[in-house]
Amino acid sequence: MIVSQRSWSSRAVPYIMLAPFLVLFFGFFIYPLLYAFRLSLFTGRTGRGTFVGFANYITAFKDGSFWSSILTVARFGVMQLLIMLILALALALLLDSPIIKARATFRLLYFLPYAVPGVIAALMWGFLYSPQLNPLLAVLGIFRHGKPPDILSQSNLLFSIVNIVTWEWTGYNMTLYFAGLTSLPLELYDAAKMDGCNEFQTAIRIKLPLIRPVIIFTWILSIIGTFQLFNEPFILSSLTAVPSDFTPNVYIYNMAFAYNNFHYSATLSFFLAFVTLCASLLFLYLTSGEQRRAGRRNRSYDARGVAK
Amino acid sequence: MSTPKRSLGSSSLQRLYHGRSYTRRRVVIGVLILIPMSLLAMYFILPLFWLLVSTSKSTDQLFNTPMFAPSSLSGLVTNLRDLGQKEGGAYWRWYLNSIIYSTLTAGLGTLISALAGYSLSKYEFKLRGAVRFMVLVALLLPAATLTIPVFLLIKSLRLMDTYVAVILPLLASPFGVYFMNVYVGETMPNELIDSGRIDGASDYQIFRRIAVPIIGPGLVTLFLISFISSWNNFFLPLLVLSSSKLFPATLGLQMWVSKLISPATGIPPYPLIILGSALSVLPMAVLFPFLRKHIAAGIATGSIKA
Repeated sequence: MIVSQRSWSSRAVPYIMLAPFLVLFFGFFIYPLLYAFRLSLFTGRTGRGTFVGFANYITAFKDGSFWSSILTVARFGVMQLLIMLILALALALLLDSPIIKARATFRLLYFLPYAVPGVIAALMWGFLYSPQLNPLLAVLGIFRHGKPPDILSQSNLLFSIVNIVTWEWTGYNMTLYFAGLTSLPLELYDAAKMDGCNEFQTAIRIKLPLIRPVIIFTWILSIIGTFQLFNEPFILSSLTAVPSDFTPNVYIYNMAFAYNNFHYSATLSFFLAFVTLCASLLFLYLTSGEQRRAGRRNRSYDARGVAK
Repeated sequence: MSTPKRSLGSSSLQRLYHGRSYTRRRVVIGVLILIPMSLLAMYFILPLFWLLVSTSKSTDQLFNTPMFAPSSLSGLVTNLRDLGQKEGGAYWRWYLNSIIYSTLTAGLGTLISALAGYSLSKYEFKLRGAVRFMVLVALLLPAATLTIPVFLLIKSLRLMDTYVAVILPLLASPFGVYFMNVYVGETMPNELIDSGRIDGASDYQIFRRIAVPIIGPGLVTLFLISFISSWNNFFLPLLVLSSSKLFPATLGLQMWVSKLISPATGIPPYPLIILGSALSVLPMAVLFPFLRKHIAAGIATGSIKA
């Protein structure tokens, strides 16, 4: 393409530019994974431990706590992703439609929580979940025989974290969708209007399919984020009791620091990385399959000569 | 820069007024939709407003005055003084640490990603496909699943409890490389490199003198994204730091919160935690105008190509 010189020094240029990244990438990405994998093949609390092969993985596979933590984040993910992404999409489409006033202000207000560090958001909401600091909860108590709801109780913990994460990330996702929408050509909307689409139909039939790549991108990011859920439950554990196997990362953390079992902790993080990778790849595969089917549908339309 | 390629040129003014026709029905619908939208806006804003208002309250006022009622400014001065004195000014030390961690991580990380992304985008070489594939796979691996392995490595290298332990693992960012790769490919024409060559510039001069000014907005975007994620970082410092004088602000505040429920530590420092939290949002608030523009445009560029 560009490099036509044959000299050694010019052939080395791309490698030299890549070198800092590659060195650090191998040092703090690949090597830790290999190191953790090696650790996971041993057992013992101190010293080098004894080699046990894949025994730790078999333990992990049968570990009810680990699977229950995966189940917790899966439940969390289904709830949180649906709420957040539907909300973000609806807001982006509304803010892109000309019937709404003060769109710039709304966009700014919705995006604001993204500026708050996750740890601070969790702290703030942790305080707001306390009925002493948040009298509004007492108002909600009217429906519960005057007793304010205990948002941080075991049964509500998952929902309280859903709320924190939704609060923090909805505006961010909305901003991405909105940026996708603004890059669509205006002429498209005129064409849709001529074909008799109303505002709502344009949004659902034209705009939504066109920003599909952005939507898939945000879903992948959210799925990955869901599996690594740690900060929020960890912060809330200072304010309420959080089970030691609440999310995979909380469990892995406790395995390393509360039980001092680094070998098993390494096994679990390796396992978790694998599960996360599978989940993202599965999602990518499913969505690309849908696209292939959609592609076939469109072609058959064309073959019959039906104008879209 | 907004989106670099706009297929059919429509100005922002056109966009703003496009499709505006006011029939009575449309006006009514528009006003009705404003109600749920305003409620949502309140959901996003009120917690922050509460945080802001609470910075000037004492513990007693926090529990006994209306939650959104502002307090006197002198309360804020008192809280600021107390915050500066608590544990020998620990908070400001943490704050400075946060600034050091974030600036170094974002600055060096952006440079490393830019070099790698540029190399992957503009050169053909044997391992290009392999490196690109590796970066893509790494993108799908969350940083947090790596945190425990990185911690185990740091521990075995005896780097625990150092600045390096917090900064070094974050410098190689697969997202940064992927982003710069796409960005350079979209904004920088190959002809510029050829003309640079003809003028006798070396590859590094071309990168510094020609590429950097062109990909500048992308560099700013990546710097901001890295700065924020580093400022918000919690998991890694939690694992690799043990002496509180190295803590970033997030970790320090969490430590104060964790002491809230143990009754032995005297009066719970609620006001200081609240003021400290509000102050640690400050850099983001300052960066906010840039943030919104660059992140929206920048990530959209990267993601549409994904």
